[in-house]
Amino acid sequence: MTPTVSASGLTLRYGGTVALDDVSLRLTEGVTGLLGPNGAGKTTLLRVLATAVPADRGAFTVLGHDPSTTAGRLDVRRALGYLPQTPGFHQDFSAFAFVDYVAILKELTDRGARHREVRRVLDAVDLSDVRSKRIKRLSGGMRQRVALAAALVGDPGFLVLDEPTVGLDPEQRMRFRELIAQAGEGRTVLLSTHQTEDVAMLCHRVIVMARGGVRFEGTPAELTARAAGRVWSSTERDPGARAGWRTGTGSFRNVGDPPEGADLLDPTLEDGYLLTLDGEPAEVAA
Amino acid sequence: MSGDEYAARPAFEDEAVRADAGDGGRQHPGTGREAAEAAKAAGPPAPDADAGAGTEPTDGRWHVDEADLRAYAQGELAPPRLWSADTHLASCARCREALAAVSDPVALDAGWERLDAELDAPRPGLFESLLVRVGVADHIARLLTATPVLRRSWLGAVAAVLVMTVVAADAVQSAASPSLFLALAPLLPLAGVALSYGPKLDPTYETAVVSPMHGFRLLMIRTVAVLAVGLGLNGLATLALPSYGLRALAWLLPALALTGTGLALTPRLGPVLAPSLVGGAWIGLLVAAQTTTEAGGTLAPFTAAGQGVAGAVAALAVGLLYLLRDRFDASRASFTHFSDGGAA
Repeated sequence: MTPTVSASGLTLRYGGTVALDDVSLRLTEGVTGLLGPNGAGKTTLLRVLATAVPADRGAFTVLGHDPSTTAGRLDVRRALGYLPQTPGFHQDFSAFAFVDYVAILKELTDRGARHREVRRVLDAVDLSDVRSKRIKRLSGGMRQRVALAAALVGDPGFLVLDEPTVGLDPEQRMRFRELIAQAGEGRTVLLSTHQTEDVAMLCHRVIVMARGGVRFEGTPAELTARAAGRVWSSTERDPGARAGWRTGTGSFRNVGDPPEGADLLDPTLEDGYLLTLDGEPAEVAA
Repeated sequence: MSGDEYAARPAFEDEAVRADAGDGGRQHPGTGREAAEAAKAAGPPAPDADAGAGTEPTDGRWHVDEADLRAYAQGELAPPRLWSADTHLASCARCREALAAVSDPVALDAGWERLDAELDAPRPGLFESLLVRVGVADHIARLLTATPVLRRSWLGAVAAVLVMTVVAADAVQSAASPSLFLALAPLLPLAGVALSYGPKLDPTYETAVVSPMHGFRLLMIRTVAVLAVGLGLNGLATLALPSYGLRALAWLLPALALTGTGLALTPRLGPVLAPSLVGGAWIGLLVAAQTTTEAGGTLAPFTAAGQGVAGAVAALAVGLLYLLRDRFDASRASFTHFSDGGAA
C-alpha cells in the first residue's frame, strides 16, 4: 500500500523536554493505532501532524501536501479531521450549531450545502435525535460523538483522533469502535489510545511510542508475536517475570522470560506492548 | 396551521411549530383547492416592485413573491428571506406550485433537498438572528456567536463598570476632564479583544487553529465585532457625561492604540502577556502623567498632543499587525503551545 502520510525525523522540544525525538513513520489507508505510556509524545505527534504545532526539525506530507509552505499547510488542513484530546465546546451551542460552526471554519460557507453536510455527519454518529439539544445537556459519550462528527465534517481524507474513547463505558466504547472502523474505510485514520483492545479490534497497523520515539511499527499480529513464548502460567508468582498477576482461575499469568519447561500461554497484543516497553521508565513526568 | 397538516408531515412537526412561532405566524397554509384558485386569481405575476416584502394577492394572505421564488429556485436567495421562504413553502401549496412554475426540475429537486436540510436545522439564537437581520452573512454570524466575550455575562460586566465610572465621574465634577472614565474606557476594548482569542480562553481554539480558515481572518472578524460592541458601550457612557463635551471622547484614540498594540504584540508575547503588558503600560503612563500634572489639569494623554500620539500609535500598530498577519497561523513560541503541551 502506498503511504498517505509519511514523516521523517520529526523532532520537537518544549523547554528542556524532548517531546518528539526523530520520529519517522508511514501511514496507509485504514486505522493505525498509536500506543504509548503517558508522556510518550503521542499527543505531540498528533498535534504536529494536525499542523497545530510546527516541529523544530523534520518534515512530513499528508496526502501529497507539504505543510511547510503556507499553501501546502492550507491543503493539509482542508484534508484534515482532528479530534483533540480534550475537545472544547461552546456549551450553549446545540450539537447542530457546534458542528455547523466547525463546518464554517472548514470553509463550508454555502448554507444549504453546509447544513446537509452537518446533518450527514450527525446521522453518521447517530446523534440526529439530539441535534437541537445544547451541548451542556449531553452525556459525555454524546459529546465525544459530537466531537467526532465535527472531525468528520467535510469528509476529510486524514483523520487524527486523540484518545477518543477515554471516559466512555464499555458499550459506548464499542459504539465508538464501530464509528472509527467505518471512518477508516477509504480514509487514513491515526488513533491514539491507551486501550490495547481498541488496537487489537480495529487497527490494521500499530505504532508504539515511548519517550518521544517510535519503538515499534507493524501490524497488531506482529506486536502480539513479540510476546510469543514469553507468557506462561504458574501456580506461584514467578519472581523472574517482568509482570505477573493472579487470574480469576487462581493461577498466575506471567510475562517475561519463562523458565525451562514453563506452561506457555497464547500472548495478547497487550503482552507484546508491555514487552516492547520493557526497560522504558514506566512514566515520564510532564 | 391545522392539526391535519401535522399528521401529514410528522417528520417536520417540531420544526413547523418553531417556524410558526419564529415567523410571527405570517404564513397561512391553503388547502389544495384554495391554492389552485388563488393561483388562478393571481394571474401572471407583476414585475418585482418591492423585493422581499412578499405579495398581497386577492386572497389577502402573504405569499413569497415571484422574484424571491426565482432566486430561491436558483439557490440564490439569502437569509433572512431564505428562512421566510423555507418556512412558508413548507406550508403553502400555492407557493409550491408557483415555485414549480419558475424552476427547472433539476434545480427544484435540489431545492427540496435543501428545504429538507433547512427544516432539520435548529433555529439560530436571538443574537445570531439579529446579526443576520442587520446584514451579517449567516456563517460570519455563527463565528461571532462563538466569540467567548460576546456573551451576556461579559457585556453585563462591562456595562456595570462603565455605569459605576460614569456615576463616579459625575459625582466628582471638579476636574477639567473625567480622568477615571478616560483611563478605564480604553482598557475595556483591549481586554475584550484579548479575551476573544487564545488557547486558554477559546474552548475550540485547537479546532480553530487546524482549520483552513486563516487564524488572522477569524481574529479580525472577532476583533471588529468586539471593538464595535466595546466602543459602542463606551460611546453610550460618553453620552452620559454631556457636561464635558468632546473632552469625554478622549478615550477613543487611546482605545484603538491599546487594542492595536496589544494585538500586534500577540504573535511574539502570546495572547495573555501582550495585552497585559499594554494595559500595564497604559496605567503606568497615566500614573506618571498624574504626578506631573497640577491638580485639576488635563492628563497628558488626553491633551491634543497626547491624542495625536495615540492616533499615530494606533496607525503604526495596525500597520504592524497587517505585516504580521501570517504569524497568527501556527506561529512559534508561546502562542500555540498548550498548557499541557509537553505532557503527552
